[in-house]
Amino acid sequence: MTILNESGIPDVLPPLHAVNGLAERLPDVLVVVVGTQAEAHLVQCLSAVPSPNLPPSRRDQRVIFAIIDPNDPPQQGLLASRIVESAAGLRGTSLVLLVAGRTAESLGVDAEFEARLVARKLDLPSEVVNPDAPREVPGILSTDLEDRVLTVLVNLCPKRKTSDLVETASPAKRGGLFGGLLGRGIEPSDSNDGRPVVLLGGTLKPGAAQGLAAELSRAGVEVAGAVPGSGMGELPPLGEGTVVAVMDPNLTSAATAAERRGATVVKTLMPVGVDGTARFVQDVAEEAGTRISEVARARSAWEDLGVLRNRIRGKRIFFTGDTGLEIPLARFLADAGAVVLEVGAPRLDRRFLAAELQALGPDVDVVVSPDYRGQTNRIDESRPDIVISSPGLHLPLVARGHLCRSPRDFLEAGLYGYGGARRILELLVRTMDRAETLDSLNL
Amino acid sequence: MKLLRGVYEGPQSYGILRVAASIRGVHALLRALPGEAYFRTLHGARERSGEMAPVTLSPLREGRDSSMAPGNLVRDLSGVVRRHPKTEIVILVRSEASLLAGETIPATTLPEVEGTGRPPELVKFPWEEPAMRETEAAELALEDLIRARMHDRPERSPYPTVNLFGPPIFGPGAMAEYAEAERLLDMVGVEVNARVPLGANTGDLGRLPRAWVNVLLYREVGESATLYLQDEFGMPRVTTPMIGAAGTGAALRAVGELCQLDPKSVQRTIWAELARTAKLPWYARLEPPETFQNRRVAIFGDFTYPLGLGYALAREVGLEVTACGTYLTHLERDFLFHAHTFTEGAFVEDDPDEVAARIEAAKPDLVVGTHLEQGVADSLGVPFLPLCPPVADRPFVGRPLMGYAGSSVLADALDNALRRASVEPAGEAGMQWTDGALQEAAEVPLFLRGRARRLAEERARRQGSGMVTRDIFLESRS
Repeated sequence: MTILNESGIPDVLPPLHAVNGLAERLPDVLVVVVGTQAEAHLVQCLSAVPSPNLPPSRRDQRVIFAIIDPNDPPQQGLLASRIVESAAGLRGTSLVLLVAGRTAESLGVDAEFEARLVARKLDLPSEVVNPDAPREVPGILSTDLEDRVLTVLVNLCPKRKTSDLVETASPAKRGGLFGGLLGRGIEPSDSNDGRPVVLLGGTLKPGAAQGLAAELSRAGVEVAGAVPGSGMGELPPLGEGTVVAVMDPNLTSAATAAERRGATVVKTLMPVGVDGTARFVQDVAEEAGTRISEVARARSAWEDLGVLRNRIRGKRIFFTGDTGLEIPLARFLADAGAVVLEVGAPRLDRRFLAAELQALGPDVDVVVSPDYRGQTNRIDESRPDIVISSPGLHLPLVARGHLCRSPRDFLEAGLYGYGGARRILELLVRTMDRAETLDSLNL
Repeated sequence: MKLLRGVYEGPQSYGILRVAASIRGVHALLRALPGEAYFRTLHGARERSGEMAPVTLSPLREGRDSSMAPGNLVRDLSGVVRRHPKTEIVILVRSEASLLAGETIPATTLPEVEGTGRPPELVKFPWEEPAMRETEAAELALEDLIRARMHDRPERSPYPTVNLFGPPIFGPGAMAEYAEAERLLDMVGVEVNARVPLGANTGDLGRLPRAWVNVLLYREVGESATLYLQDEFGMPRVTTPMIGAAGTGAALRAVGELCQLDPKSVQRTIWAELARTAKLPWYARLEPPETFQNRRVAIFGDFTYPLGLGYALAREVGLEVTACGTYLTHLERDFLFHAHTFTEGAFVEDDPDEVAARIEAAKPDLVVGTHLEQGVADSLGVPFLPLCPPVADRPFVGRPLMGYAGSSVLADALDNALRRASVEPAGEAGMQWTDGALQEAAEVPLFLRGRARRLAEERARRQGSGMVTRDIFLESRS
């Protein structure tokens, strides 16, 4: 593996686009985007899950834009009282998120203060999400806002108290998202020793965490819940003694927040692909106090994928980079026999992704902050079989005759776990099959 | 400060980029935060042509600038010239964050293009400010771009020609509007000198004074450019919106007069088109008067479309326009002046919730609007025609709304909408509401209230209750 830094302008969808998707995914959250006309327009234009064919933006009544006139900045507290008025008409709100970035700051809005005021007046948690807050590693990913929102949610999780430990460990009392599921699973061999696991991630695909939870409970690990799970009411306890298993490689700040609360964040591969899932389950189980071996399971999973692997073998794949999910995807596809030409990483946190980078095959090049024009030229030169492209490059690349898929398509299909490994390969094979059918037409 | 659930217009930078991307040979350098650069993605998704938008990002960075990475404005400008050697005008556009950060823009010149020995023109917009909106900025930017190309005075063409000032890129069927106008002008014997901004190249901008007349299809963007050409070169303007058969006829006659064409031959062309292409008058005559009698329509949009459609629907079709509004607050006086000729319900408003309330109060049987009005039409249960920009659909084949062909498109749309509406049973009126239920309903956001009300009444009816109580209302919402 080689890592190059191109210091270019990567093609990344603005992180703010995720506001609609997050509001849809977290139905009891009121999102207030604070800024100028620009932020509001961006959020409205780029809908929930942007594919190359952006569907018309739907209006979600849980997304409100606070548009500040630069010539007449509001007095302190006015924003809060307007938000309180708006929230009155919405039932079942349990969290108010103020998305306030650099523009709000330059306009002199003290978002933290307004949020505290909202929290006091509504008697609800109210938090600020700053999409432009500096990060340790420079660069942006289109999934940055999700990371920030999950950070807020992690901090809102109840801290586990010692007295609860016994209660939650008994299956009868365990309710919530995974209650039924876990009841059917194998009980942990020693529930007093076992530390509960919280899954972090899977934001845009509801139910993504359930599959992994089933996988873990099969291995005898207790899963207490997931963040974001299905809403504020079901946030699992997260604190000292909790094991946090991160599902997405882009959740750096959320993982850091979990660590700050005293939870143990498992440093392992992401549960993408066969080996990734096996290592993930094994390492998470070990951290939770159960020793298991996933070798047999992984071997049979690879065997099951035999036919699909034959289709993928030798295919040349190029990742332009957008969501941050590209690295685990590339790792899996290289293991499955594909030739990964380049993996673009608009931001690369080497420490957080140490395990992933180590597991990347020797022939994979990672390009940090790639330049989209340079990438386009390299794609034209190398003519890959499939390009996993960011939304901005998708149409231009298709127009140049390349076969493209969006990294979000994999998220939509559900890419976690052993089942996800199959879905990833099926998606690629389906894409190539369709292209072949279309190519064979005599137009 | 305003709390809104949606916006009709984008920021000023978006307006300038729309104009820039419409004209070939213009490349924009956008000074913005990396998270603000969405134009290229949007351009790809909306146009679906596979072309890359002529926009380069110059990222606004924190801290000292020591690396060679993009972010240094002067270096990025020369980068544009180097990478896009065919560019003739480079414009510098600043995002809201860049304007608010108060950056000073260094005075700079562009390097020469290899081979030609002369640099492209650099156009900056000193009037940019963060409170400005899309349409106003697009209008000013178009004027500045034209001014920048006026190096000499080209001769007037020996035969009558006109310039078409139409909508910029992303307009619904924008290309089709120009094409229809050009077809009609061609038929009366006038050649189109240039289409501005969509479809023009930088050379066309310098040749605009060749034409005899400027025809304003879309005043929102062409207004100040044509006023400049009028002052500087004495070029007359035709401003009648070419919407509906009457509007199109008036515009063609005005062009004919200014181009000293034989009025009889112009009239003959108009008659021929009325017989062949224009189906709106035919539709109005075919339908029995009952179809339109006491039928109310609410219209909302930019400037040209609501006024043109309002006039056509009120006069040519005979619907009652009970509300007609615009979100272009900077054109308030003009809009109200024109709208008062066909409606009592003219208004200016840029908050979608307030617009929904105005439309609801107008009790329409048909809503014509932007994609943001879909919600209120649905909630009222009346047919909806998204005919005013911004609209969300992006057809592969654009259909005009202007000209005679456009009037037929309008006739089809009306025919569908009004026929469907007449089939639907009229909602039962007179359901009683308790005070508690009314109070709850008042808390529902405006644009959802009509729908909430309907659902509650349906539920009450299903339960066999003649009265909507608070409980029924809450159940219907859960």
